[in-house]
Amino acid sequence: MNKKTLSLGFIIAILFAVTAFPTGNSLPTGIADPNMVANGCTCHTDGIMASDVVINLTELPENYNVSQVYTFTLKISGGPEPLEGGNQGGFFIAASYGTLESVDNTTQVPEGQNHLTHNAYGNGQREWSFNWIAPESDSKVAVFTVYGNSVNGNAGSSNGAGGDYWNKAEFKVAGVNAKIVVEEEEMSMPQKMVYAFTVLLLTLSAVVVGNRMVVNDQSFEDVMKDYWDAAYPWLTTTDHKYIGTLYIVTGFAFFFIGGVLGLLIRLQLFESDNDFLTYEEYNSTFTMHGTTMIFLAAMPIIFGFANYLIPLQLGARDLAFPRLNALSYWLLPTGGIVIYMGYFTGGAGDVGWTGYTPYSSGDTATTPGTDFWVAGQIMLGASSTLTAINFLTTMLRMRAPGMTLMRMPLFAWSIFVTVFLLLLSIPVFTVALILLMADRTFGTLYFDVEAGGDPILWQHLFWYFGHPEVYIVILPAFGVLSEIISTFSRRPIFGYTSMVYAMATIGVISFIVYGHHMFTTGADPLFRFIVMLTTMLVAVPTGIKIFNWLATMTGGSIVLKTPMIFALGTVITFTIGGITGIILASIPVDVALHDGYFVVAHFHYVLVGGTIFSFIAGVYYWYPKMTGKMMNEKLGLLHFATSFIFFNAAFYPMHNVGIEGMPRRYATYDAEFTELNEFISITAILFGLVQLIFVYNVFYSYKKGEDAGDNPWDGWSLEWATSSPPPHNSFVEIPTLKVAEEEGH
Amino acid sequence: MALLEDLIFFDNPSVWNDFGGTSSGLLGVVWQMAIWSIIVAILVTGWMIYNLIYYRHTEGDPDHKDALKVGVFPHERGNAKIEIAWTIAPLILVSWLTFISLAPLDYLWDVDGQEEDLTIDVIAGQWYWQFEPPICSEKGNENSWCDDGVYQEPLNFTKCDSKFDCLEIPHGAVVHFRLTSNDVLHAFNFPEIGIKQDVVPNLETLAWLDTNEIEVGQYDMWCAEFCGDRHSKMDADIHITTVCEPGFELNSKTGKCEEVQ
Repeated sequence: MNKKTLSLGFIIAILFAVTAFPTGNSLPTGIADPNMVANGCTCHTDGIMASDVVINLTELPENYNVSQVYTFTLKISGGPEPLEGGNQGGFFIAASYGTLESVDNTTQVPEGQNHLTHNAYGNGQREWSFNWIAPESDSKVAVFTVYGNSVNGNAGSSNGAGGDYWNKAEFKVAGVNAKIVVEEEEMSMPQKMVYAFTVLLLTLSAVVVGNRMVVNDQSFEDVMKDYWDAAYPWLTTTDHKYIGTLYIVTGFAFFFIGGVLGLLIRLQLFESDNDFLTYEEYNSTFTMHGTTMIFLAAMPIIFGFANYLIPLQLGARDLAFPRLNALSYWLLPTGGIVIYMGYFTGGAGDVGWTGYTPYSSGDTATTPGTDFWVAGQIMLGASSTLTAINFLTTMLRMRAPGMTLMRMPLFAWSIFVTVFLLLLSIPVFTVALILLMADRTFGTLYFDVEAGGDPILWQHLFWYFGHPEVYIVILPAFGVLSEIISTFSRRPIFGYTSMVYAMATIGVISFIVYGHHMFTTGADPLFRFIVMLTTMLVAVPTGIKIFNWLATMTGGSIVLKTPMIFALGTVITFTIGGITGIILASIPVDVALHDGYFVVAHFHYVLVGGTIFSFIAGVYYWYPKMTGKMMNEKLGLLHFATSFIFFNAAFYPMHNVGIEGMPRRYATYDAEFTELNEFISITAILFGLVQLIFVYNVFYSYKKGEDAGDNPWDGWSLEWATSSPPPHNSFVEIPTLKVAEEEGH
Repeated sequence: MALLEDLIFFDNPSVWNDFGGTSSGLLGVVWQMAIWSIIVAILVTGWMIYNLIYYRHTEGDPDHKDALKVGVFPHERGNAKIEIAWTIAPLILVSWLTFISLAPLDYLWDVDGQEEDLTIDVIAGQWYWQFEPPICSEKGNENSWCDDGVYQEPLNFTKCDSKFDCLEIPHGAVVHFRLTSNDVLHAFNFPEIGIKQDVVPNLETLAWLDTNEIEVGQYDMWCAEFCGDRHSKMDADIHITTVCEPGFELNSKTGKCEEVQ
């Protein structure tokens, strides 16, 4: 009964939401407005509607008198700087009542038409004057519909309208006896979305709350109190296990949102000249996809696991600064909301996750979407800095007896190196963001090229952080893989010491390779040459790690459970990503591939095929510890098989598209790439869908999973020494780490 | 099937074919990268499959003497010789790959070493390419299209009707491009040829193209650095056209110059 009412309620809510939801319409319509074409203006079909083109119709009377002649001046400002000697602009005006009349040789009323427009003599200016003869009735409201086109004058070439911006405006003049009816403006798309989601949310909560009231026979206050009691510990917790869970859940929630954005990108790229998204929407979509996946999904998932496991692995009761830890966490969802605010203010940040100046500091980037993007990122930077300090202190000061640095589990070591990188790199990015914010908001000139700012300073600041950042997200994955491969091979990891040194070496090298993102800028050739050498060197410690994992398996007793299978799949996809990294490190090859789809393929192989896959393996591995329940093996295997196939099918062809020359961040592409892109889009959508198996498994196993026991996988590290789930203070008694050599095993 | 073909065969950028000297062919950087990628991938997957076949756990297997025990830091496992071997081997491999990258790098970057016939100023802006009239060098003066240091557009150049988003240049010339931007970052990119150079405001960057090395025809030029809304529409057509000496005429069938009868 209970379930039936609930599902009925859900269906009603969904139906209601569907009717309340705005229907999609395909933008941009371009200047080829049906009315306009009907009126004879068929030029400029390829221009862009731009809000920075401002149309002003001046000298309008407050009210008009019958048949009086008025002279208006139309002025266009904003838009592109006109090129020397070229055309500057044009206009079109139609009046609902009265007659328009040309007064000089720059404007015309085309024969048989009622509207007024510029002529060939009038397109070298952005200001025109003309007459309007008022209608014979003064009880009407005359509406002037004006289109203004601000151009840079490059017309005549194959892409003549490139660089044309237009805008539309409406002006009204009422007759002295007219009644003015105030029309309500139609809501914008984001406003409609906000309303739709609010309606959806309210209906859903009413259904859920109502259901509980009826079924449990509780009053509204009692239900609310129950909810508050359930939420209160999560909102106020400083326990590393609760915060770790919050981080992981937030991370996967944003991973879902970022994944949906990624699929929107793929839908847009399904056809070569698609108009599913406007160019600006497309740019916002890939910006938010990248930012979300790196800062709001990958890092929170990593630090969720670190939060949960590091104290357990070290034999500590909590992190060194639990309140600081809570602050770090709460900065994350708040920062995330700030970044997403752009969607409700007319367009999210559209500067790419790299936010290169002078585009991001200039006024062609979305406003205020980009400002929200910058502000939110600063909050995330603060969050990461605090987390780094917290973990460094914990790991240096709070290890259990017997746990020397060189006896830490490899996951702990990977986090140790990671937080060092984080502490040394992310403040640089935060500072760069603050400078950018000052430029955008307070009119400073740090990145202003015309004021003498260095046009590639931002790239140095960004990639000084950005490259360590990609190791920040891959090193913990190495830690997870080391733990899983050793446990499921039932043998100690091969070459523990060299594993530690390899991670430390990767950490050090990460600070001296960032220039490989700038091979095609005008940076000093010697600088670019040196970073080519250092980038190639990254292959050495990474190779050591891969060989050590394989050697761990050799001579072991391999148990093939879902975590292990996912880990082995990761080794393969990550190896492919690593190899393409070396290919890209060679400057002469990179020059052709830079900023193309080969690069997109490369970093999806390391970030999805490396980081995300190994942390999904981590979920399968540590879920029993966190919940006390085993995850379903069959669903796990199905999830692996489908993910692995569709991941490769979606991302491998991107290498080919890239070699053939398709640049990244393209909303439209040359028709020659259509076939492969369609294939990529279809498999990417399938890859997204099969992740639902994983979501289902997590909930299903939480209810129905078998009991796990303290050490279901026979691991050695201290998290397996406590109960599953761990008690409130993590350990009933602080354990002492023994050493196999001394134990005589 | 066509899809499978697309995955196996693809058109690589043409500059990879003529990286010059010792760097072409199987020992050239492109082929070496491909060969070693396949070797490393086979090594890793092969070893993993070998492990999975020979070292699987079966029910009832006795625990190894150094099997893991909870709360006990395990035995150190390792072999210094093997570990040093797989540190040195990748080091040698990447040193080799770096070494063979040097000659093509020289070739790509050696703008000054390629004595130019023509210099063209290119100005990028949101969202157009503007090509200024070519400037003849002393070497360029030997060609029919330069008259006393002034570029004379050959009569058969009819593909472009403005200096925006379209450029027609003679076949058989070394062309230097001086690039600068009016507003934000752009990138000057010939996808079919494999040349790419960022275009930066307030900075002059250089790119060069030897039209002797490429076939006559139309080439795309796409902006490769994200520059805003119409980034993907910021393209230009580059036409490489044969110019005939005075008294000769282009035969449209053979593509060669023939004496006027």
